Amino acid sequence: MTALGVTSTAGPSSQVADYVISVRGVRKHFPIKEGVLQRVTGHVRAVDDVSFDVPRGKTVGLVGESGCGKSTLGRVISGLTDATEGGVYFRLSHAAKDRLDELLAIPEAERSAAEGRELAEIDRAHRIDALGKDRWREYRRNCQVVFQDAFASLNPRHLVKDIIGRPLRIHHEASGTQLTERIVDLLESVGLGSQHLYRFPHQFSGGQRQRISIARAVALDPEFIVLDEPTSALDVSVQAQILNLLHDLQEQRGLTYLFISHDLNVVEHMSDRIIVMYLGQIAETGPSEQIFAAARHPYTEALLEANPAVEGGARAVTRLKGSVPDPARPPQGCRFHTRCPVVTSQCGWEVDDAVTEAELRDSGLDGLSGVSRQSAFSADLTFETEAQAAAFVAQLQAQETPEPLAAALTELRQTGTDVSVRFQPVVPVRLERVGPDQLSACLLHTGQQPAAEAVAR
Amino acid sequence: MGLIIIVALVGMALLAPVLTVPNTPDPAQMPRDWGALNEPPGTPGHPLGTTTSGGDVLYGLIWGARTSLKLSVIVVSITVIIGTIIGSLAGFLGGRIDTVLMRIVDVFLSIPELIFALAIAAVLGPSLRNIILAIAAVFWVKYARLIRGQIIHVKQNEYVDAARVIGDSRLRIYLKDILPNSMTPLVVQATLDMGHVVLIGATLSFIGLAEAGLAEWGVLVSEGQTGISAGRWWVSLFAGGMIFLWSLAFNLVGDAMRDVLDPRMEGR
Ligand SMILES: Nc1ncnc2c1ncn2[C@@H]1O[C@H](COP(=O)(O)OP(=O)(O)OP(=O)(O)O)[C@@H](O)[C@H]1O
Ligand code: SF4
Ligand SMILES: [Mg+2]
Repeated sequence: MTALGVTSTAGPSSQVADYVISVRGVRKHFPIKEGVLQRVTGHVRAVDDVSFDVPRGKTVGLVGESGCGKSTLGRVISGLTDATEGGVYFRLSHAAKDRLDELLAIPEAERSAAEGRELAEIDRAHRIDALGKDRWREYRRNCQVVFQDAFASLNPRHLVKDIIGRPLRIHHEASGTQLTERIVDLLESVGLGSQHLYRFPHQFSGGQRQRISIARAVALDPEFIVLDEPTSALDVSVQAQILNLLHDLQEQRGLTYLFISHDLNVVEHMSDRIIVMYLGQIAETGPSEQIFAAARHPYTEALLEANPAVEGGARAVTRLKGSVPDPARPPQGCRFHTRCPVVTSQCGWEVDDAVTEAELRDSGLDGLSGVSRQSAFSADLTFETEAQAAAFVAQLQAQETPEPLAAALTELRQTGTDVSVRFQPVVPVRLERVGPDQLSACLLHTGQQPAAEAVAR
Repeated sequence: MGLIIIVALVGMALLAPVLTVPNTPDPAQMPRDWGALNEPPGTPGHPLGTTTSGGDVLYGLIWGARTSLKLSVIVVSITVIIGTIIGSLAGFLGGRIDTVLMRIVDVFLSIPELIFALAIAAVLGPSLRNIILAIAAVFWVKYARLIRGQIIHVKQNEYVDAARVIGDSRLRIYLKDILPNSMTPLVVQATLDMGHVVLIGATLSFIGLAEAGLAEWGVLVSEGQTGISAGRWWVSLFAGGMIFLWSLAFNLVGDAMRDVLDPRMEGR
């Protein structure tokens, strides 16, 4: 039972670490390259300024639609990719976390030399991309990942024995017969046995394969595991078994989880806290019960309604309309405004929205020959004929145009073949406290003033 | 089918010293029977006839198989090793190293294989060793490109990420995860090239880039060619047939392997 011991092998520093992981201002932008010269023409903002904490021994659920950046965030946290900006901190105490936040709140230019040194010191001790060799190794042992596709994450040419024994061998934990014993212990702890030692991954079912990758992930007795949709590739009946296994392992070994999923049911069952992501940012976050009982953000509400297990879920299809916008050009203001069912005129309407709206109609964009854009909120559109320009204006003034969009237009003026379109500029909507432990990024309940006044400040 | 031919031909090559009385001092040279020039097949002592210079055709075919085996094994081994090293450096390290190495490869690939090999062999002078060098110098680029592509592809597999997460080193990840999973198309290509190399080798020796008198199929075809108009068909036909058989067999086996091992490779 050596490997199944409850005590963690982590060093003394872990005793004071209240947060296994703290994410601060993380961005991950992927360059979009085009043409033979591979010139960078833009960036996919897969993760765009995300901060949160993962308390020791808890499970934090990360939910959101496909492509919102969940896996990318998971990869940044587990050190598989570097963040473009921001940092991931390992094992912060309450006090250290508070101090870090104080220091980070000071703009870089205004930091005193002493504050700069203090920050650098915290970085060296805790920030995963600034750790020394030994501490990085410690992190590598203590942060593991279970991937969505168990088959893809197991080398097809390796035996189960080698797959599970590999972390132990790399970290010189065991060798020889002792190693085999440890491997069998691990196999048994995930519901497999010594009869599976000498088989290849393809000889197992999907659920069994996921058990093998879980055994590999817990082999080094880590503190923290990123579970990237560990059950979404499995049959429903198998899903429940794997979730129970993960739950049991967490209790036995005092594990901390970041549980990534697009399935709210699964997340509700597993998580203490929930983070709802939309287009690379956090839309809402809070304790699990709170989110399920009293979600504040319209996106969370829409997700909950799309959930067939929640009463009235069928309505959802009509509510969460349209597709996720391109993460390379995220919408202004509130990123959700293009799809929000309760959107207001203040939510970030921009020229693109007017053009998209006209495009939906039969002849709204006919004859568009040029666009000169002063900002996301202001542009002059040139049409081939005056009639076509007039048609565009008429479309936007028609009944079908959503009222908030129409109300947000500060100018829609035709001069000859030109149409100038102006909206009130807004700033991005921020996450704000909406409950004792709940944050949300929506104008409706945070009292933010995103419009021109805010810009002027 | 191809496999049977390969077994027969390779068996013949390996057993050459047993099947014939080796010529002295150099068994790779044709023995000369100056009393029996241009004998047709069926002549006692020369079941497949002789050449204009009294060489025994059967001896030439058997020892020619040995020459072909030597040629193809050496060339394929050298090119696989060099190609794997260069392709791995480019694919695994990427960046500027990759760009530079692939430029070089592109230059090589822009010249037709045969002409390139011919030019090199011609410069080096006529000998089997130089033919080997010439073909190897031309062929490694194919492997480099193949391996590079495979490695870039395999590198993206999740099991590579999984190995990084448990803290394995880059070198071990390359050796344990990336390289073994990149080798399949290489094995196919190497098999195809076992035939291909012999064809090119025979072509080069046909035009006189091997040592004179070498027991080699291309040399035999060339030697027999002058007699064809005089009705002495046997030398060129038998030797040419061997070249054909050898290339065909490895092509058949290589193609079959490609289909079995990796259906996605089709049409490449
Ligand atoms: N290596 C990469 N290069 C370029 N773009 C990438 C890369 N990885 C992810 N992206 C892009 O980043 C965005 C977020 O992807 P990510 O895989 O993190 O989403 P996800 O929330 O995990 O989605 P899913 O539910 O489909 O797994 C997507 O638009 C994706 O196309
Ligand atoms: S700010 Fe709130 S109301 Fe406005 S679009 Fe965003 S979620 Fe909807
Ligand atoms: Mg994902």
